[in-house]
Amino acid sequence: MTGQEREFTSTGVPAWKSPFALSLALHLLIAGVALAGWSWSSAIQEPPPNSVSARLITQQKPEPSPVVEPVDQPVDQPVDQPDREEEQKELEKQKQAQAQKRQKEEEARKAAEQKKREDAKQKAEEQKREQAKAEERKVEKTRKEEAARQKAEAEAKERERRKAEAEKKQEEAKRKAEEEKRRQEEQRKREEAERKKQEEQARKEAERKRLDAERKLQEKQLEAQADQARKARAEEAQRRKQAAAAKARESQMLSESQKYQALIRERLSQAWYPPSSATEEMTARLQITLLPTGELAGVKLVASSGNTAFDNSALGAVKSLSRYPVPSERDTFETYFRQFTIEFNPRRLR
Amino acid sequence: MIQRISFTLSKMVFAAAALMLVAATSVQAELLIRITEGADSAIPVSVVPFSESGNMPAGDKLSSIVQADLAMSGEFRPLPPEKMLSLPSKRSDVYFRDWRLLGQRYVLVGELTRNGDRVQARYELFDVNREERILGETAAAPASNIRSLAHHVSDKVYEAITGVPGAFSTKLAYVTLDRTSGQPRYRLQVSDIDGKRARVRLESKEPILSPAWSPDGKKLAYVSFESGKPAIFIHELNSGQRTKVADFPGLNSAPTWSSDGQSLLMTLSKDGNAEIYQMNLQSRKVTKLTNHWAIDTEAAWDSNDDGIFFTSDRSGGPQIYYMAKPGAEPRRITFGSRYNARPRPDSKGDYVYYVHQRDGAFLIARTNLKNDEETVLTRTESDESPSVSPNGRMLIYATKQSGKSVLTVISADGGAAYSLPASEGDVRDPAWGPIVR
Amino acid sequence: MKLSAQTKVIALLFSVGLFAGCSTTGESMDDGGYDSDVAPIDQDQGSTVYGGSDQGGISSSSMTEEERMEIQQQAELEALREITTFYFDFDTSEIKPEARDVLMAHARYLSSNPSQNVRLEGHGDERGSKEYNLAIGERRANAVQRFLVVNGASRGQMETVSYGEEKPAVMGSSESAWAQNRRVELVFE
Repeated sequence: MTGQEREFTSTGVPAWKSPFALSLALHLLIAGVALAGWSWSSAIQEPPPNSVSARLITQQKPEPSPVVEPVDQPVDQPVDQPDREEEQKELEKQKQAQAQKRQKEEEARKAAEQKKREDAKQKAEEQKREQAKAEERKVEKTRKEEAARQKAEAEAKERERRKAEAEKKQEEAKRKAEEEKRRQEEQRKREEAERKKQEEQARKEAERKRLDAERKLQEKQLEAQADQARKARAEEAQRRKQAAAAKARESQMLSESQKYQALIRERLSQAWYPPSSATEEMTARLQITLLPTGELAGVKLVASSGNTAFDNSALGAVKSLSRYPVPSERDTFETYFRQFTIEFNPRRLR
Repeated sequence: MIQRISFTLSKMVFAAAALMLVAATSVQAELLIRITEGADSAIPVSVVPFSESGNMPAGDKLSSIVQADLAMSGEFRPLPPEKMLSLPSKRSDVYFRDWRLLGQRYVLVGELTRNGDRVQARYELFDVNREERILGETAAAPASNIRSLAHHVSDKVYEAITGVPGAFSTKLAYVTLDRTSGQPRYRLQVSDIDGKRARVRLESKEPILSPAWSPDGKKLAYVSFESGKPAIFIHELNSGQRTKVADFPGLNSAPTWSSDGQSLLMTLSKDGNAEIYQMNLQSRKVTKLTNHWAIDTEAAWDSNDDGIFFTSDRSGGPQIYYMAKPGAEPRRITFGSRYNARPRPDSKGDYVYYVHQRDGAFLIARTNLKNDEETVLTRTESDESPSVSPNGRMLIYATKQSGKSVLTVISADGGAAYSLPASEGDVRDPAWGPIVR
Repeated sequence: MKLSAQTKVIALLFSVGLFAGCSTTGESMDDGGYDSDVAPIDQDQGSTVYGGSDQGGISSSSMTEEERMEIQQQAELEALREITTFYFDFDTSEIKPEARDVLMAHARYLSSNPSQNVRLEGHGDERGSKEYNLAIGERRANAVQRFLVVNGASRGQMETVSYGEEKPAVMGSSESAWAQNRRVELVFE
């Protein structure tokens, strides 16, 4: 949290009153509340509308790592380190001094021994030389070690620094992601609220319209009924008049049709050659469709006599007439002769 | 919108109701025309001369034989070829309109091809009004046997149109009497149904009567007076072998076969007067079936071989009687005139044909066995010996024409008559042979 | 038996009539066609003269009345027996009255000549059915046979056969032809 605050500050957004701040404060508040509730409620695992804040909590909680320890300053490097580093250096120095001390003591011992053993001329020189060499070596070695150590320390410091940076970045990224999520959730919430509002509006509107329509319908129906009643009365009168006329026409058509029926019967009888195996039990029925000219438009066997030769003789007879005698009055034709049935059934076999 | 829908709906309901009302009335008024009678005349048919490839044997053309067969049946009226507008030999050349103009109902076309010693006929029969082919076949026969091929075509054409098998390939047996050389000469002959290819099977100076075909078409039974009195013989046609089977004292006459070919009905008077007997051909034993002082003769089995029709004058004059079983009490069948004789039932049991006297003339009549209705079939005057074709559709009988006895074929319901040309003297006693597969 | 002159004349007339019926001119049997060489003679109770060159009365030796009668009788019977064909009406085998005397003569002759055999051939006219006509011919022959037997002939002398319509005596399709064909013929062997 500290980091966040620092971050917050370093971005330079000053006002506490910015929406982000507000939202952050809010979130912190919720976080606090939710934290309190976290330990005994498992329902939080479901995604309720405020799961956003819950998730924030879980993300925030287990990260103590953003605490970054300061790195010791290396010896050769310019001191521009924070106090922490100096302390570290001090420690290191101490360690080094101690090490040096020890080493020196050792060497002194050795030198003393040497001296003791070789008292002679060479011993001093040798000792000196050796000492010098040794010292050189030591210095060198120390230098090297020091260098190595410093390098190591620098590397370590560097590593630490990088680690800290990385962690910082990570934290930042996490924070950003959390913020983003928060933002999105807010967006979603807003949109949903909006949608609900609209739905509600639409529903209300539809309801209003329906009621409106119903009302209008009822009105129209009543109107129509009244209309129909009026019409029915008029039609009744008309119909009665027409019925009388139709009856007259029907009987006229009937007698006309009978005349033409007789003509057709005669023509077909002359054209029909029943096979010699025909019996009085055989009946074939054909459905005929004519054109107003009397021409045959179609013929269909609708009931077979059971005897193919007999059926074929009937079909042949029907098809042999190129023109059927039909009335010229169209309505008589349509009523009786557009489509009719012919039944072939021999009576009076010789 | 809903209000609009309901208004349209109500309109539709109204319209539908109106429509149904109209439909109901029109169904009630739907016309039914009944045709109960057909044309009295024969069916117009065209047998177009077949096209020929290769040498055809000399003699009548196949199509003219077919034409004559169909005319003889009395059921068809063939168009003379000179009246044809075209001479097609296959479907693609048939213009149905032309044949309709000529009033034809059926057209037969075909092609004859000579293949070595065989002739092949490919032919097709068309229904002119329905414009459909109703028969098509290729048949072949030895070139010497073109007449048989023609009769086969006639049989098939007849069957395709009427539904009944044709009887044009059957044979005819009959007796001729030639008096020209002073002495009478009787000849028993077998020919095609049109009289052609006649062959003499027996020649005698004494009368030969009543030839009767065995059911398998291989034998003839007949009465011969060669011994000075009537005796019954069985004559095997292939071998020419003859066997005298009945020569009892008195009459031995009127032989007819049972349908199993195992026995003959015959008239014998050996027991005092003419009675009907049945003879088992294996054992030659006879059983007496009638027992009456009257003349009982001319017996014939009915279509099931159950009962027997015969002539009897037990009521004063000859009438047709029927006994339901051999030996059963006979029942009289004919009542319409005082002379009815020589019953011949058809093979389906529908009718019995016989000689019938009316107003002094002797005609051929038939009785419908279902309703006892009698119909006179001929208009000639001295008719005798009716014999029915095996398909029940034609009848042949003997009649007098210019003093000579000739054979005439009519359709079984008495339609058009067709006289067989008679060359030598009298032709009499025809017997229509069976259909032999 | 004793015949009066009138009866004789009638008998002669009848036999002549029968003969006339057989002629081919087609006249009905009722006409009198006198083609025989027997001429009606006016009878008085005297002898009958039969033609001949001996003219002008013959004084024969006188015979007894009976002898004369017998000769007469014989002659008459012989005359009758000249007739050997008997006719029938259509579809019957009934012997006509006019045939009875003739048949009687035949019967008597047969009975007095037992060795004489005769064949009775029955026929019918061409009309109607052949086989039925065969039976009718037989029935006619049988009828004649029965009559002869009843009147003295013995069955063994006679043989019947029917030819039905197969052997007409007269060709043609007229009533007269038919009438002449419905017959029984006696053929003496």
